[in-house]
Amino acid sequence: MNEREGPFRVLPLQGEPQHELSSIGLTEKELRELYRLMALTRRADLEATALQRQGELAVYPPLIGQEAAQVGSAFALEESDWIFPSYRELGAAVVRGVDLVEYLHFYRATWHGGTYDAVAHRFGMVSVPVASQILHAVGYAMGAKLDRIALATLVYFGDGATSEGDFHEGCNFAAVYRAPVVFFCQNNQWAISVPLSAQTAAPIWKKAQAYGFPGVRVDGNDVLAVYQVTKEAVARARDEGIPTLIEAVTYRIGPHSTADDASRYRPGEEVEQWKALDPLDRYRSWLMSSGTADQDFFQTVDAEAKQFATKMRSGVIASGPRPVEEMFEWVFADLPPHLARQRDEALRFAEESSGGSHRG
Amino acid sequence: MAVREFLLPDLGEGLDDAEVVAWRVAEGDQVELNQTLVEVNTAKALVEIPAPWDGVVERLHASEGDVVKVGQPLVSIRVQEASAEPSKPKRQALLVGYGVEEEVPAVGPTGRASTARTREQGGPVPASPPVRRLAKELGVDLSTITGTGPRGRVTREDVLQSAQPGEGSVPVAVARQGVRAIPVKGTRRLIAEKMARAAREVPQVTTFITVDATALQAFRQELSKGSDRRITPLPIVVRALVEISQEHPKLNSSFDAERREILLFKQHHVGIATDTEQGLLVPVVHDADSLGIVGLAEEISRLTEAARAGKATPQDMMGSTITVTNVGTFGAEFGTPIVNFPEAAILALGVVEPRALVVDGEVQARPAVTLSLSFDHRVLDGAEAGRAMGALKSLLESPFRLGALPR
Amino acid sequence: MVKALNEALRHSLADDRRALVLGEDIGKLGGVFRVTDGLQDEFGIERVFDTPLAEAGIAGVSLGLALAGWHPVAEMQFDGFSYPALDQIISHVAKYRFRSRGRQTVPLVIRIPYAGGVGAAEHHSESPEAYYAHTSGLKVVTPSSAIDAYHLLRASIADPDPVIFFEPKSRYWAKEEGDLAGDDALPIGRARIVREGNDCTIVAYGAMVARSLQAATRASEQGVETEVIDVRSLVPLDLDTLAGSVRKTGRAVVVHEAPMTAGFGAEIVARIMEDAFDFLEAPVLRVTGYDIPYPPATIESHHVPSVERVLAAVDRVVNY
Repeated sequence: MNEREGPFRVLPLQGEPQHELSSIGLTEKELRELYRLMALTRRADLEATALQRQGELAVYPPLIGQEAAQVGSAFALEESDWIFPSYRELGAAVVRGVDLVEYLHFYRATWHGGTYDAVAHRFGMVSVPVASQILHAVGYAMGAKLDRIALATLVYFGDGATSEGDFHEGCNFAAVYRAPVVFFCQNNQWAISVPLSAQTAAPIWKKAQAYGFPGVRVDGNDVLAVYQVTKEAVARARDEGIPTLIEAVTYRIGPHSTADDASRYRPGEEVEQWKALDPLDRYRSWLMSSGTADQDFFQTVDAEAKQFATKMRSGVIASGPRPVEEMFEWVFADLPPHLARQRDEALRFAEESSGGSHRG
Repeated sequence: MAVREFLLPDLGEGLDDAEVVAWRVAEGDQVELNQTLVEVNTAKALVEIPAPWDGVVERLHASEGDVVKVGQPLVSIRVQEASAEPSKPKRQALLVGYGVEEEVPAVGPTGRASTARTREQGGPVPASPPVRRLAKELGVDLSTITGTGPRGRVTREDVLQSAQPGEGSVPVAVARQGVRAIPVKGTRRLIAEKMARAAREVPQVTTFITVDATALQAFRQELSKGSDRRITPLPIVVRALVEISQEHPKLNSSFDAERREILLFKQHHVGIATDTEQGLLVPVVHDADSLGIVGLAEEISRLTEAARAGKATPQDMMGSTITVTNVGTFGAEFGTPIVNFPEAAILALGVVEPRALVVDGEVQARPAVTLSLSFDHRVLDGAEAGRAMGALKSLLESPFRLGALPR
Repeated sequence: MVKALNEALRHSLADDRRALVLGEDIGKLGGVFRVTDGLQDEFGIERVFDTPLAEAGIAGVSLGLALAGWHPVAEMQFDGFSYPALDQIISHVAKYRFRSRGRQTVPLVIRIPYAGGVGAAEHHSESPEAYYAHTSGLKVVTPSSAIDAYHLLRASIADPDPVIFFEPKSRYWAKEEGDLAGDDALPIGRARIVREGNDCTIVAYGAMVARSLQAATRASEQGVETEVIDVRSLVPLDLDTLAGSVRKTGRAVVVHEAPMTAGFGAEIVARIMEDAFDFLEAPVLRVTGYDIPYPPATIESHHVPSVERVLAAVDRVVNY
């Protein structure tokens, strides 16, 4: 992988020449599928934000603007590869087929991390302590390697996470053990209110050099570039045991979360500039101009996305809290006596206070 | 068609309300799901709220500039559905901690089956620590008692009953008709127990002597003139008692039943029996022998006021070596006070009033007062007590002889 | 105890093909206390391997290995150096089963040499067991003897839940006799009565068990027969054994090296009080380290509970 000054890009921005696409290895169907997944993600993300504003979710961290970074990378993985997300990867969840109602249960305060089966989707539970999931991805990759299983793990984290000790320790472990990990950093330029310039003095992609493995910077809003770079990195990890640090340059169009007011710390013009680089618009115009997709396709996708979001909405609204006894169900493999007593007490009080209607 | 109310949701800040800044729709407008209805200002951010349903705006429940509380209606929308379920605002702050809203009842220990040997098997006897202590002090063997408390626990009453020799079990069930039951708790309970104990353990008798109070009254008046307070007989009697107990130290002592010793106290801490709302309290004048009469009067005054106000410190209430009780304040001529366990003696001061006394062979009306001394007969015998009382009478009838300490 | 632990690891690595041993200096060197001596030679570098100097990394990566189906036994080289791993342990290791609703479990053991009395420098004599005991989702155990160390470590490695395994380093080199193949092994969650007596119960764990037994011998010379209980398993705690003993003796003293305030002894006392209140002849006392940072080695003996301090407490409760 050559070092580049500017981020690796496939889809041309205005005035740029088109890059050669043949090496990407995607069929036309797959090229369209990428758009469909981004469209579903966009629609679901907007819907989730609205649901929060309507009191159906306690909080939600929007990913709007980062669809290409997530969809392009997740699409490049094999089914057997594991994704270790942070808390903003609804797009990757969509690619993995995770039921978004179950995913959003984290934000509905129904259950920590969500209620989906991480093992079935090979998509980890939502992880909040910044960068902490990086070590898990590395350990898992090491474990797979010990079993001689050919797989890679891909861990998502943001620009802020690269300041955490766990990022450093994770990169170091991965390099030393030649663990098949892809470190995927969505550099969306902001860690809540702290801009990249205050976060780190060195370019993120270049930090990989310190650990002894390749780093690459890619245009995070170019879904094909993201796809290509990730595909290469995953192969490198799986086949050679060499990790890669991918810095996907993108932008957090929305606030850090629905509890954040970004207008307090960043200029509106900046947001508008990035809105003009919307990854969906960009990809759509390329699909059309290259003849890969037509208006009918986009209309169908829009309708499907609308339905997708509506179904997600009704699923979220219809769901209630989990039964109280679940608090004790998965603390240990077997319930020790003192916990069994506590559970009985909790249930007794729950029955008294709600007349038995607490059970979900 | 039905009208649904959209209540202002908790926008995730843990804040209670929001100010309506600008309505983006008007009553009668058609709205789509997620269409922006209104801009509101929370303390931290300007937030757009999207419509939760398709429909027609029926009613705006607030004007621009109004502050709406979370959970209050924001807007009503006429929707297509048949039912109009009330929607509830969801108060779940994920990233912000809320305190507990309701009082959670205190939890007691959950019942657990004991796996140790039961008492029938010769195992340990269940009884709470205070009950154990009581049993030990009374010399009662717990294993000989059948507990009447929960789970066969030996109770305080069980121990007390067992400590009364030769008594059968007191019938617990009493006919309740025509009887008003007043529960005895707290301070009164403790007083009752202490009285019972003193009555039970101390073989006490009372001896009486009547004092001609003529000189005493004159002495009182002189003292009252000299100070800015009215001196009552009590501090003078206390003073006299303290003085004669130098010659009669057994008045200021205690019988130690365990060690079988009489403990003579060097210090004189005089308990002053005081009638309060909580019952009979006995605050203590510490080192009474270091105080003059006026000083005693002041201290007695301070202590009794504090005791009545419930403000006496533990220090004030502890450590008496002898006690005085002024039964005269109730008009009693004399009394048979119970010793303030474990002291050996208590002196009751009766009312000072005119009596017919024989002076130089003639009956005269003179102020007089009867003193009653109850004492622990294990410590003092009649002769000693009599001599002490004689000395007290003598001193009180010539009060100007009262010690060298300042008056 | 070092030999017993070594045997436990050896047997577990042999019986459980998914067991791994990792940590700083545990491979070639065999561990700074030689607990893992010879294991890398016998089982190879893939199953017994050294890690970079990164405690959080060790804990987080071990978690990842566990998620991938391995049974890692990770070492924190010293008690005082385990703290960087606390975030991974508290935020994730303890909570993964709960968060994933039982689909992702963490059969992980974290071994931590702990406690003092070995003349060590700062940070090498900590007793941090309360932090872990207070974290729901972790099991916390500590052996007091070599034989028990063997059985307890094997049980911990076989346990499907994360176990924090505290090794009292002052007992590492204590000479003991015993038969590893004996059948009196107790599972996690059970305490052991190591000495019977009727007059007073001494509850202790780790290095304080031996100390309590010394006190018991001295007390016996004065005619006081104490029952000494080795807690072994802090979480889950064997209340039946503890309370059963206190109901019999009516008196209890709890001994631990960790500082008094919010130490694990407070938990033991509270549970004994709740369960055996009606049988108590005296308050339950604690003999613990003082509420100070662990002192310099030259005066540590004044901080760690001594036989005299234990006896004084026993004396107080017996004569209450």
